[in-house]
Parts: sequence; structure tokens; C-alpha cells
Amino acid sequence: MLAVAFREYASFFRTPLGWLVVALFAFLSGISFVTATLVPGEPASLRAFFGEWWGLLIVVCPAISMRLLSEEIRTGTIEPLLTSPRAEFGIVAGKFAAALAFFATALAPTLLFVATLMALARPEVGPMFSGYLGMLLLGSLYLAVGTFVSSLTASQTLAFLATLFSIMLVEFGSQRLAAIAPQPLDRFVSALSASARIGDFAKGIVDTSHVAFFVCASLLFVSLAAITLRVRRWR
Amino acid sequence: MLSVVDVSKSYGSFAAVRRVSLEVRPGQVTGLLGPNGAGKTTLIRMMTAYLTPSSGSIAVCGHDTVDASAAARASIGYLPEAAPLYPEMSVEGYIQYRAGLFGLPRATRRAAVEAVIERCWLREMRRRRISALSKGYRQRTGLAAALLHNPPVIVLDEPTSGLDPTQIRGMRDLICDLGKTRTVLVSSHILPEVEQTCDRVVIIAAGQVRAEGSPRELIDQHASNAPAFISVEAANADRAEALMKGLVGVASARRVSPPSAPIASFEVFGRADGSAALLPAIARAAASAGVLLVELRQVRPSLEQVFEKVITSSAHSESAEAHPQPPRPVLSH
Repeated sequence: MLAVAFREYASFFRTPLGWLVVALFAFLSGISFVTATLVPGEPASLRAFFGEWWGLLIVVCPAISMRLLSEEIRTGTIEPLLTSPRAEFGIVAGKFAAALAFFATALAPTLLFVATLMALARPEVGPMFSGYLGMLLLGSLYLAVGTFVSSLTASQTLAFLATLFSIMLVEFGSQRLAAIAPQPLDRFVSALSASARIGDFAKGIVDTSHVAFFVCASLLFVSLAAITLRVRRWR
Repeated sequence: MLSVVDVSKSYGSFAAVRRVSLEVRPGQVTGLLGPNGAGKTTLIRMMTAYLTPSSGSIAVCGHDTVDASAAARASIGYLPEAAPLYPEMSVEGYIQYRAGLFGLPRATRRAAVEAVIERCWLREMRRRRISALSKGYRQRTGLAAALLHNPPVIVLDEPTSGLDPTQIRGMRDLICDLGKTRTVLVSSHILPEVEQTCDRVVIIAAGQVRAEGSPRELIDQHASNAPAFISVEAANADRAEALMKGLVGVASARRVSPPSAPIASFEVFGRADGSAALLPAIARAAASAGVLLVELRQVRPSLEQVFEKVITSSAHSESAEAHPQPPRPVLSH
């Protein structure tokens, strides 16, 4: 798993796409920080930043995950990979871990915002820590969905769009459906929305049920991707 | 070492491999031959546990490719067709990565990587990005990765495709060298290559094994139908031709040399028993008629001709199976 993870992580920086994602993320989050947080009279916290930036992850995460397995399938490198003695789950978990590590790297420049707030005021550290934890957990779920989708197709574009639409469908669809669903079902439907859970993290609340949801859902999609690779052998 | 028992593989309603059984033995190089679409790559992919057979079983060093898949995969060094690699990596980086993937211990990893870089003539290219390599070097990088973990079984799918003549010679020597100590299976469509490299050949067509044996055995099996070759002085050409056509057992005799050549050559085709039995009769008849034979031998077909013959006959039997002749109508009056 480690060999796959290290190779994959390094490959993000060997392609223009990886640098583009890092640069775009840093640029857009910088604009958000300057216009929403670094304003006289605003509280010295990253709540506004975390509150609105989950939306960006809906686009950034599919862009990171789209090549994970699709590219291997398209170029044929999946063949030497699947004929190595590594188990399918180890391969997929390695790729997912690399994507998550890359996402964390792309998030790293935003620590400058924390440093800026520290220099200008005395912000609460707890909500910032929980905010970052929430971003990582949400990113982890979206990347796991993306890993699963990329195991289904050889086209990166298709993997990107299908991941994007799947996430949007669940995020926006679940809120709409919850409003019209009958009584016991509405709670289940609204529980599917990851973005609804992220608000608590931004406020500084680390709810273990939210953490368990993100971890379990990520594990589920990584396992589904591993099952897809296994099924490929039976085609 | 590599044992395939009654293996079939279907893609939907299309049967790519049909009830194939074969044994790839240690200490020799086995060539897998077949036209495009014969099922070679599907068969190889099942042997390397990339695909699972629809029925039948494959064992690599005693490990079943389905029940003990990881152990079977660990015993195989595999170079897929066209050597798929990561273009953004360096040659050495890729080989190091494969060492990690195969779980080579850190203590021996350095030495193993150096050994395959040396063995596959990659020393000058080790720091080069794979995207900047020629096809030959890409092939060598894939081969180095396949040999890295010192596998007892090596499977190479079209290892010489895209190589120049010097590189082909180098690859051939390497394959022969590997075949002395390991079980090597090579898929190829370059028949002279196979003839020189392989100790044993398996010909498959339409997903089935059509012939197998050493190149010599296969050639001998098909040599009986090959013509006899006779050369006489041009002055005796007409007498010799008449002599041969008069012999019992000769189906036809055809002059193959130009009329102006000082030596006249003929191909003589025998009847049911083939031309081998004709040689003594021709020699005796020529001696008694006072015709000096400059050359008398049986023509041996090349492996290429044998291959073509096997493929053609299997295609005929295929179409006969697919479109059986309707029974002739019986006239009632």
C-alpha cells in the first residue's frame, strides 16, 4: 500500500494538474480569506472560511481523484499493478491515501491564514482545529467517492463529471428530498448530506457521530473501488 | 511449473479461449504462437492472474491463480504487451517502485535494482524520464521490472515488438539465458525468432491449442507432405523429368529453376505416403538411367510454413463446424 501511495503522491507533483489544483486552491481561498475574514470588525476566526469552503471541495476533490484509477485503466498500467502480489484493497487504499495527502498539502498554504490571525489578534485555536478536521473528513469522503467512480471508467473526464454530479446530487438532492419526505424517512435522507454536518465543525463542535459518518462512508467507497477492481478480473 | 488445465474464458457470448490445457516446463523457453485474436493475450492474462478463467484452473509453482492468487502473482515476472509504464517517472524510480510493490526487503533492494538495470542494459538511461525513452528502452524497463524479484516463472507478451535488430538479438540472448534456469513463456508472432529462441512451441488459433511440440517436432510432423528437391545437369533435364513422372508414387514434378540455368531443379510431390519414401526410388531410377543427380533431398518446411498450415487447417475445420454441409438429398426415383 505504501509503495502505491508514495508513487501516487509524487506523481501529483510531476503533472501540471497537481500544481494547478494547489495554485487554484491557494488563490481562491486567499480571496475568500481577504474578503470575508480579514475585514475590520469581523471576529478573528476562520468560521466564515470553513463555512463557505466546503462548496469548493465539490469541484476540487473530483479533480484530484479523477485520474487515480481511470488513468491506470486507460494507459494499461493497471495490468502490471494488478499482477503484482498486492491485494486490490491495498492498491486502492494506497491511491486514496495519496489523494488525501495531496489534498492536505493543497490545504497547507491556508495555514498562513491562521498565522496571520495569530499575528493580528488572539483567535480561539479549538474551532480552527475542528474546522481543519472537518475539511479533511469532508475531503476524505469526496475523494473516496471519486476513487470509486474512477475505478469504473477509463475516461478521466467522465470520472470527474460523474463524481461531481454524484456529490451534487446527494448534497443538494438530500436537502430538497428531506423537506418533502415522510416522517421517519426525512431524517435518514438529511443524514446523507455531508455538507450539513460540516457546519458543526466550523463552529468548533467535533461530534463523534459526524466523524464516524465520514470515516465509515469513506471506507465504504474505498472498499467499493477495491471490489470493482476485483470484479474486473472476472469480466 | 505453470500448468493450465481445461481453461476457458468467455466475454459475453464470445469464447476467447476454449478448453485449453498445457504445461509450461521449467528450464526451457516455451513459445506461444497464434494469429491476432487467437486468444494469446487472454490466455496470458489468465496465467498471470490478471483475469479469472470462466472455467478450468491454472497453477503457478503449485499456487492456484484464483484460490492463492497473491502467491501465484508473486511467483511470476510479467511483461505485458507494449510494456505499459508511468511516463512521468524515471527508469530507476519505476524499478524502485516495483521493488516496493513486490515487497523486496530494503537490505537487498538496492542490489536487486542494480542487477536488473545492468542485465537489461539500462545503465545510461537510469535517470531518464520514461516519456523520453525509445520503444526499445521502454521494453527493457518493463523487462527489468519483471525480472526484479527473481521470479521462477517469467511471462513475456511480445517482448521483441518495436525493437531494432541489435536489440532483438540482445533480447533473444537474454531470453535463452533465462530459459536455462527458469520457466519462460514467450508470446510472439515473429516466427524465425521463436524458432531460434524456443525449446517448445504451442500454436493456438480461435482460442484452442492446435499444435504443440519442439520446433523440430512440429516441422518433422509436417515434413512428410513436403516435396522432394532434385537437381540434375541441364542437359539431362528432360530425361530426368520424364523419369520422375514415370515413377509409381509420384503425384507431380515441377521444374523450379529457370530454363537457362546450368543446373535444372525440380520439386517432386509424392502421393499418399509423401515424398520421403520417394527418395530411394528416385536415386535408383536415376542411377539405372545414367542420370547424374547433383542434389537429392527432402524439402523441410520452415516453422512459418508449419504455422500457416496449422492456422489454415484450423480455420477450415472452424468453418466446417460453424457451417456443416447439409446432407445430400436422396433421389427417390
